[in-house]
Amino acid sequence: MSLIGQIWLKLFLVLVMAFLGSVAVHTDAMRETLQTQLRLKNSDNATALALVLSQQKGDAALMELAMSAQFDTGFYRRIRFVAADGTQRFQREAAPASLDAPGWFERLLPIEAVPGVAQVSDGWRALGRIEVLSHDTFAHDELWHAVKRAAAAMAIVGLLAALAGALIVNRIRRPLELTVEQARSLERGEYVTVVEPSAPELRRLVRAMNSMVARLKLVFEGQATQVETLRRQANCDPLTGLASRNHFMGQLATVLMREDGAAEGGLVLLRVLDLAELNRSLGHDAADRMLGAISQALQAYTERVKGCFVGRLNGSDFAMCLPVGGVSEETARALTEGLRAVLPAFGKSAAVAAGAVELAHGVPMAQLMSEADMALARAEAQGAFAVETSGEAGAALVKLGEGGWRRRLHEALADGRIALVAFPVRDAGGRLMHLECPLRVQLDLDGTFEPAARWLPLAVRARLTAALDERALALALSAIDDDGQPRAVNLAIGSLADSGFASRLRAQLLQSPRAARQVWLEVPEAAAADHFELVRELGRQLRPTGARLGLEHAGERLGRIERLFELGLDYVKIDAAISHGLSRDGNRAGFVTGLVAMLHSLSLQVVAEGVNDAADAAALWQCGVDGQTGPWVSAQVDSAG
Amino acid sequence: MAWARPAAAIAVVVLALASSLGQAWDQDRMAQAAQRVGPRAVASVRALQPLLASAAATDERTLLASVNDFFNRRVVFTDDLAAWGSDDYWASPLETLERGQGDCEDYAIAKYFSLMAAGVPVAKLRLVYVRATIGGPGGAVQAHMVLAYYAQPGAEPLILDNLVGEVRAASRRPDLTPVFSFNSEGLWQGAAGAAAGDPTVRLSRWREVLAKARAEGFQ
Repeated sequence: MSLIGQIWLKLFLVLVMAFLGSVAVHTDAMRETLQTQLRLKNSDNATALALVLSQQKGDAALMELAMSAQFDTGFYRRIRFVAADGTQRFQREAAPASLDAPGWFERLLPIEAVPGVAQVSDGWRALGRIEVLSHDTFAHDELWHAVKRAAAAMAIVGLLAALAGALIVNRIRRPLELTVEQARSLERGEYVTVVEPSAPELRRLVRAMNSMVARLKLVFEGQATQVETLRRQANCDPLTGLASRNHFMGQLATVLMREDGAAEGGLVLLRVLDLAELNRSLGHDAADRMLGAISQALQAYTERVKGCFVGRLNGSDFAMCLPVGGVSEETARALTEGLRAVLPAFGKSAAVAAGAVELAHGVPMAQLMSEADMALARAEAQGAFAVETSGEAGAALVKLGEGGWRRRLHEALADGRIALVAFPVRDAGGRLMHLECPLRVQLDLDGTFEPAARWLPLAVRARLTAALDERALALALSAIDDDGQPRAVNLAIGSLADSGFASRLRAQLLQSPRAARQVWLEVPEAAAADHFELVRELGRQLRPTGARLGLEHAGERLGRIERLFELGLDYVKIDAAISHGLSRDGNRAGFVTGLVAMLHSLSLQVVAEGVNDAADAAALWQCGVDGQTGPWVSAQVDSAG
Repeated sequence: MAWARPAAAIAVVVLALASSLGQAWDQDRMAQAAQRVGPRAVASVRALQPLLASAAATDERTLLASVNDFFNRRVVFTDDLAAWGSDDYWASPLETLERGQGDCEDYAIAKYFSLMAAGVPVAKLRLVYVRATIGGPGGAVQAHMVLAYYAQPGAEPLILDNLVGEVRAASRRPDLTPVFSFNSEGLWQGAAGAAAGDPTVRLSRWREVLAKARAEGFQ
């Protein structure tokens, strides 16, 4: 029984007991008083009557007259005269009067009226004794009415007490419920503080919980800072703060390989000409300042263009990946022109050359890099501030107008030309955690089902992501109903901005509650970083359905998401760019270990994406991840199956 | 003193037998009550108890005379104001014996309870308010109380009085004119009437003295 219920029950019992007790005491006292009054009246009247009778000189007629007069004018039940020899000489008795009080009440609380007795004599002659018994009807009625009045009064008092009790219980209940709610959210991994209630015991409890939450937050923030430091050490070039070669290559590979990577884009390589000579002529400090200026110029792009990232490949080489196709050469020229204006300030011979290539989804890394290197070599050969591109201008992507894309996506949705593919996510024991199920769309009637990289940017612009995500969830739910395997569905950032999206998902999940418990929903890390409130709201909406919520492609900004612990997440998938080549990079392994520890302390499961080979897989298990997915994991499954 | 033990044992057995013969008094309680009241009460009770114990063996007329004499001899007449510092105080038998003083109703009450203790039925006894003429016809008239004994209901009573030492029939007491009589018959009916803790008892002189006498082991 709940605490409040118990308090109510006790309050009720106490009130009932107080009610019954006070009515009983009142009744008993009243009955006692009435009984005593009756006894005294009987006794006194008997003595008075005996005194009168003793003055009648034994005249029977006079005595009878006196007794009759007393009986007729008074309130008597019975007057009896018994002679000295024991015979009854006179008796007057009244019929019992009708009562207001019910029979059961009279039987329950009888009023015992003791008859008054006195001796009658004539001179020395003892005549006998007189017995007087008064009416007790009035006493019963009096008692009955008094009990009713007392019961009514006590009932009113009891009601008032119950009302006061209700107020008090409510005053306890509100803060108690708040505290319980806080405890529940702690259980879910949401660390919220609540207002302190006025009741001192509860206030102490709430204060303790609040301070615990605050301490936990401090601990998490500390961990996050540490992880961020590790990330910088692992991924960044210490001089310029740009991504290191390993990290940049990992990011690039991810863009090329990932389902929802970029369909097309550009790669610009930038080389400082004759850096060794510059070091000598300018001095290390000036050379370093120049490198800093170059990296600032590059970083300006990443800040302006979403999805653009840069890196320092080695001492003199920089690289920039552009998320849009067809602009690589133009960008390279703008960049070198900008540097042409800046670099002479550091020294006359300070100069760069740039090579630009277009990239397409699925093109092998090695091929792309060799094309880019060749372009750069040609530019270097031309001299300062030259720009060269690889001969082929971009992949042969079919360019349609925006309207055309929208129509094709609509048609595919309407015809149901969509499908989920499934990639296994396995734990260290090889057991399936869930199937990661990206959505593929058949854009052309007889074409292939295309990955998100082909259509997602267009779907975002056409505001179709919410519809696509809902269809993907529906497919996953029915697939779960069929085979019972848990499935993960990706949600696009664009969908979150749709105000009705979260509640529609919730309704969809609540319709198939059993399958809903097997659903894992994930949003990109960028969603949590840029749209914190939207993700938190989504988490709140999904909570009752039993579906899990997680972040995918995470790692880069995870340490910088403040209040990550308030999101109420269940799991995090670490980006392929981080797991890629982990076995050969001790610094990064340290970062991943710290990241996993931090996420585990928030009760989040950690999955590594894009695992390519056995060495990376082993290194990741060592870092403590809970699950892995990627080409290597899928291959293991195939060979095992 | 070896012989004293069997003698004491026999005495206990005899007393136990006597009390089982329907005597309406509680020897132990009376002795304890006397201890509480005072040394003269203890001595008087010691003298009174053989008298009460022998009642079964003697005829009532003799018992009346000895009880009458016992109290007339041991108690000196005083009015209540002198004896108790109170205008009209009804003392219990042991209180009267302890003071050795009392007025007319104290005599009558002590005799009444002693006779009841000796086994005389309450119906035969009545306390009577009388108008007493003192010093022959035409003498001073005063309110007085005596104890009347009715051998049969309706018969002429015998009067136990402190003015005249001898127990006489009512017809031989022309100096007394009865006004009103009462006894405790019927008063013990009902639990509430008898309880010593009943607050109403103290409101009536007669009831109060009844309760006190009962507490002292009479009746």
